[in-house]
Amino acid sequence: QGLLSILRKLKSTPDQEVRILLLGLDNGGKTTLLKQLASEDISHITPTQGFNIKSVQSQGFKLNVWDIGGQRKIRPYWRNYFENTDVLIYVIDSADRKRFEETGQELAELLDEEKLSGVPVLIFANKQDLLTAAPASEIAEGLNLHTIRDRMWQIQSCSALTGEGIQEGMNWVCKSVNSKKK
Amino acid sequence: MGCFFSKKSKRKSAEKENLTPTTTSADTAGNSVPLGNNTDEAPKQYSWDKREKADPKDYTLTGLKDITVGRLPGTLNGKPFVIQDCVNCNIFVLDHSATISIDDCVNCRIVFGPVKGSVFFRDCKDIKCVVACQQFRARDCKKMDVFLCCATQPIIESSTGMKFGCFQYYYPELAFHFKDAGLSIFNNNWSNIHDFTPVSGENNWSLLPEDAKVADFVPAPDPESDFKSVRISTEADRSIVPLTKGGRRKDSEESCLFVFFAGDYTTANARKLIDEATSKGFVLVQTKEVSMKPEDARRVFQNSADDLVEWINKGPVTALELNGDGAVEGCKTIASEVFSGTKIFVSDNKNTSTRDVDSFFNFADMQMGL
Repeated sequence: QGLLSILRKLKSTPDQEVRILLLGLDNGGKTTLLKQLASEDISHITPTQGFNIKSVQSQGFKLNVWDIGGQRKIRPYWRNYFENTDVLIYVIDSADRKRFEETGQELAELLDEEKLSGVPVLIFANKQDLLTAAPASEIAEGLNLHTIRDRMWQIQSCSALTGEGIQEGMNWVCKSVNSKKK
Repeated sequence: MGCFFSKKSKRKSAEKENLTPTTTSADTAGNSVPLGNNTDEAPKQYSWDKREKADPKDYTLTGLKDITVGRLPGTLNGKPFVIQDCVNCNIFVLDHSATISIDDCVNCRIVFGPVKGSVFFRDCKDIKCVVACQQFRARDCKKMDVFLCCATQPIIESSTGMKFGCFQYYYPELAFHFKDAGLSIFNNNWSNIHDFTPVSGENNWSLLPEDAKVADFVPAPDPESDFKSVRISTEADRSIVPLTKGGRRKDSEESCLFVFFAGDYTTANARKLIDEATSKGFVLVQTKEVSMKPEDARRVFQNSADDLVEWINKGPVTALELNGDGAVEGCKTIASEVFSGTKIFVSDNKNTSTRDVDSFFNFADMQMGL
């Protein structure tokens, strides 16, 4: 009976739930990232028409990740998902130089949103596996990330396809949640 | 935020916490670039930091006019490719690639060998192309004729005059390029397009006529060009990707499901079935190559399932839907005459064959969605 009460104590603290919003332009790699986080097959991914959700255990947290379609036509719907977001993950296709301005624009607008005020933001400079990709430093400079003053932020190079850089990004996410909830 | 990239800059800077940047990286000029404001870890070295630096310009075609250009087999080898501002060009990318983006091109004829990721056309007009890819995307495009092999549902946005047909192409290395790109010739969703900006009363997309010939849209390269050494064929019966009717209306109420189980000769067997069936006048509607679990087998194959379960575990199955009056009897005859030594499933009778087809392809569609 002593063992049973110890087991009960261990289970009585539920994992802290964290709501993560995954945004970015269409074709950025958001869904590939989501599937990679969930350790699922990423060889056959379809363009997202609405949204995808997955729950992932990470470092004692239960991450509820919302991956929302990024086509221009459906970006107005992003605001339906802002409420109660703990961390924003913004995914950029580092090889799509033609659309750097567009993605910078969308990110700027998100950081101006009242409902996302103060929410830590992780920017994944994705698709680094492609040799046409711009390095994270170039993207950070172009986006003027250093001028962000009102929240925690981080830019992380990654390849959602190979998985490199993902863990480091998610470590920062968990750390930023800990900092906020103190 | 005062974005260099962005035209608008309406950041309200609320000075809540004095967070000083603690990780930095050097930019190309050697200046320190902050990568964050709340971490004490130095940036790691990844595979892209260690590999030999390549010039993106070598993988870009920009501002070309009135010429035949592209990449010969073996010269791209899975790298990404970028095409922009080309006018009246014939572009042949005859190799497998990681991803291809095409911007601001007009009046071009284009062939893309298998693309492992996405093909994304933006702001293009009057394009005729043959494309094989995992994802097909088009935005702000006008008048495109696309002979497509796409592993997932193609999408268009703010585009009009988009027409789609089934991929038809051959060159000697093409079959290998499909494997290199991780694409199956049996997974081709060329005819069911999702439009993010439908307009009521109009269609932004439609299907090409069934008898449309690739040669009329994208002629083979000029015999004097760099591509003269490549033995290309656009004949329907030489196509590496089997021609499927897709979403076009079926001629007959009778369809038959034919399934090959994993083995060394599955592709050759499937092609043999297609040849035999089409010579008898039956039509290939759709194909799928997909992995199944035992519970899927029970649901889809019902009474025959127990026998097949061990075969399902050997690898993905390749399924075909043949349509036409007498298709079931025709397929059963082919099965006994040509495939008596091969593990297969074929619909048993025309009263239950439609259910076989629906069960299988509904399952496959679910499996291959998210």
